[in-house]
Amino acid sequence: MSNSASPPPVPPYTGPGSPQDVPPPPGSFPIDPASLPPPIRDELLAPDPVAIDTSAAELKDGLNRCPKCGATDIKQKPGSDLLICLYCRNEWHAQRVEEEFGLGEGLDQLEGTVIASGARDIAADAASVMTFKCTGCGAEVTVNTENAMTARCHWCRHVFGVNEQVANGAVPDAVLPFHIKKDDAVARIRQFVDKRRMFALKAFKEQFTPENVIGVYLPYMIVDGKASADVSGHGEILTRTYTQGSGDKKKTYYDADVYQVERHVDFTVDDLPLESSSERGNLDTGTNTNNIINTILPFDTKNAVKWNASYLSGFSSEKRDSGVEQLRPRLENQLLSIARAQVEASTSRYDRGVRWEQEGLSVHGTRWVSMYLPVWLYSYHQPGSNGGMLHYIAVNGRTGETMGSVPVQQWKLLLAALTVGSVLETIALMIVGNT
Amino acid sequence: MSDDGGLWLLLLGPAGATGLYWALYRYYRNTDKSHDFEHETAVEAKPVTGSDRKVDEVRGTQETRIDGDNVRAYRKRVTRIRRNSS
Ligand SMILES: [Zn+2]
Ligand SMILES: [Zn+2]
Repeated sequence: MSNSASPPPVPPYTGPGSPQDVPPPPGSFPIDPASLPPPIRDELLAPDPVAIDTSAAELKDGLNRCPKCGATDIKQKPGSDLLICLYCRNEWHAQRVEEEFGLGEGLDQLEGTVIASGARDIAADAASVMTFKCTGCGAEVTVNTENAMTARCHWCRHVFGVNEQVANGAVPDAVLPFHIKKDDAVARIRQFVDKRRMFALKAFKEQFTPENVIGVYLPYMIVDGKASADVSGHGEILTRTYTQGSGDKKKTYYDADVYQVERHVDFTVDDLPLESSSERGNLDTGTNTNNIINTILPFDTKNAVKWNASYLSGFSSEKRDSGVEQLRPRLENQLLSIARAQVEASTSRYDRGVRWEQEGLSVHGTRWVSMYLPVWLYSYHQPGSNGGMLHYIAVNGRTGETMGSVPVQQWKLLLAALTVGSVLETIALMIVGNT
Repeated sequence: MSDDGGLWLLLLGPAGATGLYWALYRYYRNTDKSHDFEHETAVEAKPVTGSDRKVDEVRGTQETRIDGDNVRAYRKRVTRIRRNSS
């Protein structure tokens, strides 16, 4: 057991778009839980938070003033895509961008780069603080677009939202309203952490207060694309299996035919979401836990409504800082991965696998829409070197899909691993001793 | 028993300990998770076309898979052939 005195090395981070490996299927665990001690087994087998499917009601016209009484105290009705006037209780729908902008149509005819107005490049000199003159009382109201899109006049309680698409790229084309209510998010986060208590950091457990979760609108580019890809490489088909030698010297040998394999695929993708904040798009798991937020994708982006700041009332938001050109390499990377997944089925006869050696991509056309997506975020800062680590537990504000990073108590985990390892080693010694 | 008289069994302890450590670590920290965009994106693909040409034979290898098998490692980029993208 000498090799386990210190924690095994962390697998290296490998390039952009990390985690670079195709993620394991949901709910899978590399070791059969039945073989583990009962307390660990029970924790692993407890049920996961359930994600729900949502479908939005039909959506119609949306205005920032109440269409009935003209009041500005408008909020999203919790759990629905409706807007509600807090003054006269009138309720109404906003317009879905899917129909409004004809998104989801004509994917096969996409040509060049189509950029929705809210996805334009961000002006370098754009100020994040915007000032409005209150029409009610004349006071000045400021909105900081770094983290909010609405503010209330302290004097007359008019609510101001950044609804004009000032050409600084700060205002998205569309917003997907929260469906999952805060209570629901709190319950899901609690359930997620309850399944991960045994080896959790003591300080984390002590300070765990899921009620502190905050609703945040995070900026994404939703991309449609039409592309073609080519891959080439070598594949092997098994032709013969035989053994040579006998007893302890018996070895198995294989013969195989080697093929040059070429594949081509034309395809379209609908609503591929890309983080358009460079910080959120950095999925280096060695320095942050943004991969947690990435994991709760996708969203039912077809139900997004035209930008309307009233949906953001009571929620926080983050600003976009990446434009189409900065995101293009990541899009091409993902299109190549999608193409590779598409051609996999056509290589099933190569029972010894395929080694792709070259790949190429032609992007015929893309369409970019800037969108705010709703995420419930619980965060815990673990102190440590280099500023420590910010651990997120994230809940998809539409589907309820929940994922998180729970900091571990290193020594406890090592002790459990060593204990189980020692038991295995004892069994091994007994078997070896008996032969 | 294999040719080393079963001494490989002695690796069971260290391997089990390391394996369990990493399995539980990932279960808590989920560092291996990300959006499975390859399968969760709405993709419409035309039928895959291509060619297969026998170029060689392998005799008497002990490897069970082709060297460098990456058919399921969609995100491992290989040499990129640049073409004209419109
Ligand atoms: Zn009203
Ligand atoms: Zn006022």
